[in-house]
Amino acid sequence: MKKILEMSHISKAFGGVKALTDVHLEVNEGEVHALLGENGAGKSTLMNILTGVLQADSGKITFLGKDYYTPTINQMEEAGIAFVHQELNVINDLTVVDNIFLTRELTGKFGIIDEKKEIQTTKELFDSLGVNINPYAMVRTLKTSEKQLLEICKALYTDAKLIILDEPTTSLSNEEIDHLFGILSRLREKGKSFIFISHKMPEIFAIADRYTVFRNGHYISSGEIKDTNPRDITSDMVGSTFVDADMYEQRELGDEILKLHNLSGRGFDKVNLSFRKGEIVAFTGLAGSGASEVMQTMFGVLPREGGSIEFKGKNLDGSIAYFMRNKIAMLPSNRKENSVIKDLSILENFYVAEHVLSFRKQVINKNAEDARYEEQKKKLKIKAGSSADEITSLSGGNQQKVFLAKWLNTGAEVLLFNNPTRGVDVGAKAEIYRLILDFAKSGKTVIFNTLEIPEVQKIADRCVVFYAGQVAAILDHKDVSEKTVMSYSTGIHSQRG
Amino acid sequence: MKKENLTKQIGAFWAHYSYIVVMLVVMIVYAFTISVNGSSFRWSHITAILSSQNTCIIGTMAIGMALVVLTGQIDLSIGSSLVFTTSACIVVFNMTNSILAMILTALAVGAILGFINGALVGLAKMPPFIATMGTMLIYRSLSLSVVRSMDTSISGSTSSQFAMLRSNSKYDFLRFSFGTGKILSIPYITLVFLLMVLIFIFVTKKTKYGKSIYAVGSNEKAAHLSGINTTFIKVSVYVVTGLLVGVASVLQACKLGNVTPASSGKSYEMYAIAAIVLGGISMAGGKGNLLGVIFGALSYTTVNFIIVSIPSLTVDIQDTFQGLVLIIVILIQTLSPVLKEKAQIARRRRQAESHK
Repeated sequence: MKKILEMSHISKAFGGVKALTDVHLEVNEGEVHALLGENGAGKSTLMNILTGVLQADSGKITFLGKDYYTPTINQMEEAGIAFVHQELNVINDLTVVDNIFLTRELTGKFGIIDEKKEIQTTKELFDSLGVNINPYAMVRTLKTSEKQLLEICKALYTDAKLIILDEPTTSLSNEEIDHLFGILSRLREKGKSFIFISHKMPEIFAIADRYTVFRNGHYISSGEIKDTNPRDITSDMVGSTFVDADMYEQRELGDEILKLHNLSGRGFDKVNLSFRKGEIVAFTGLAGSGASEVMQTMFGVLPREGGSIEFKGKNLDGSIAYFMRNKIAMLPSNRKENSVIKDLSILENFYVAEHVLSFRKQVINKNAEDARYEEQKKKLKIKAGSSADEITSLSGGNQQKVFLAKWLNTGAEVLLFNNPTRGVDVGAKAEIYRLILDFAKSGKTVIFNTLEIPEVQKIADRCVVFYAGQVAAILDHKDVSEKTVMSYSTGIHSQRG
Repeated sequence: MKKENLTKQIGAFWAHYSYIVVMLVVMIVYAFTISVNGSSFRWSHITAILSSQNTCIIGTMAIGMALVVLTGQIDLSIGSSLVFTTSACIVVFNMTNSILAMILTALAVGAILGFINGALVGLAKMPPFIATMGTMLIYRSLSLSVVRSMDTSISGSTSSQFAMLRSNSKYDFLRFSFGTGKILSIPYITLVFLLMVLIFIFVTKKTKYGKSIYAVGSNEKAAHLSGINTTFIKVSVYVVTGLLVGVASVLQACKLGNVTPASSGKSYEMYAIAAIVLGGISMAGGKGNLLGVIFGALSYTTVNFIIVSIPSLTVDIQDTFQGLVLIIVILIQTLSPVLKEKAQIARRRRQAESHK
């Protein structure tokens, strides 16, 4: 086997936070190499370094015998590395052919595009791979799986030797996955190499030849897939994680206050769940599992397609403001995009949700608002200067606390938190866990969606694991372990046979 | 270190009050051109700027434009709306000789025209630029065709103009006591404009509705997820703009006494945009202060006065200068963050290299 890529002693820190510490990765010619690790393990950082998006602090990349230290994006593209991103980088308003030849158009006389030749080349390329896409079709009309194949074909047209596939199967059906794997196998025989990033064990064992596992920015293990099994790999990914057991405490829970009955919506079907006053419930599941969608439907963000949401016996259905009036609050995921209103001050970001409830009383009493903010600021230990400062002047953790305060300020009894600790540093994470426990103790029901199992173990009374739009398992606090959750959320086994 | 602080402070001042700086610079240039012409800058020059219809009528409509732009939208129809509402309120005045009926007509018609814009944009989800360009054409052409067919005893003038009837008993009060009247050398219609600005400074700074406008313009998705009815906000700013067009049309009627559908209010939407941009309101939405509208409107008027006061500039070349002033001001606003970022990247590069 010829080695085509070697990344050695790669380290990278963002500010003071180490994302990668002295890691290695080797990829052979003609193999599918699975790159494994939990969220935050450093996979994306390494891939960004490999493609020249980020520069490593130290270390060396050797690709096809040539050494690179801090390459640029163009250098790596020319060298023959292509990155098929999860959020596909195709242009919806151009045709398939135009997408493949974008910036590399085949031209004839006078620099005019030779469409015939382009179509011919595309057809040959598609035929050689067994891809069945109409070259004239607008990319908008393609299915996600076809867009993915298109990106791979585009990479092949540029003669990429190594193609990085970042969770390529998340939005594909089983049939489409089989088709994709068929094509990958064929290309592998032709000597192309792939780095395959995925969480789903069955797929990795179906397609990959070798694997490398990262954990917390460190290299853990690598080897041949045929010499290992899903359980060993999972424990490499998870490690013997330190669980802050002090944090969790058994509490007396109240009565049932919220119930989902056969709830169906976008990406999930017939979900039945019940929540008690003062309870902390974790939702978890990989992208596309439906966990986040269920939460958004419980707040009126996504439409309910069937079933009911019953809060204290009342059937809830309406706009976001309606759910807010009924004492439900939701902290959305992706703080920067969905929470931060960058042109508003800290105070304005704080009161904007409560003002929806008190819209009838139009004039803002700044002193009263400031008093309410100060109260939450103290309770949540928000580190901020003046309430008139820009929200963006705060650190990620403190911004998130302002948004927690914003929703507490609405007087909600059910708090839905979608990935509340995403993008905040370790210290702030611990504080947010502590706050969630405090909220629960004061009688609020907290439902939080997370991809990080350790935080489930730290605070949740129960954990609901979603897989493929269904509840795969409901685990009690004592039964939650990374291995169990992982096995349910990757579909290794399901509680309901 | 000290120097850095000072530049930071200047930067912060510029970011918040660029419109004051712009107006001061424009005023100084105006004073200079006047002195070059051989006279001296006097209070009367300032009152002339204050009472100009560019300041009052366009300024009043610019408040509405500012609200629409703050939500990240645009309204190209205000010039035509002004013609339509002024026509309507003059006709009603001629028929009823009632000040109240005239004002109510102006406000109601303005609000309806604004609601049509809002419904197309907010409810039918059309791009604001196209929707209001369509109504811009419609509103003016409707007034034009009505004036052609209307009996001159009601339109009050020829077949190309609506004019207030001199024979009405309230005519003198509206036209002379109010329309061209002054208190302490400041025209009443200027006071109406300033009052409108004050009201909307209050609305945008002190009410929940006002804050929602900024929230929607700054991050519509986050505003929606905070429970704000973003459609309501986006439609309502058009209705408010319509009401302000109604106010402006009363000012137009009283100051000028007439409106000519074929030519009145032409390009006023562009002048209003120019005024709010000079007033420091970001076309990207979410950012800007309604106080800036006063300064923006004054700056814009003053620029016109400067151009007129330079004898060697013909009417034909005037728009070139207006265009240049706008481009320069916007260039400073948009370029400064870009340059700042470039400087930052360069600094980081140097640091990274010195670490190697």
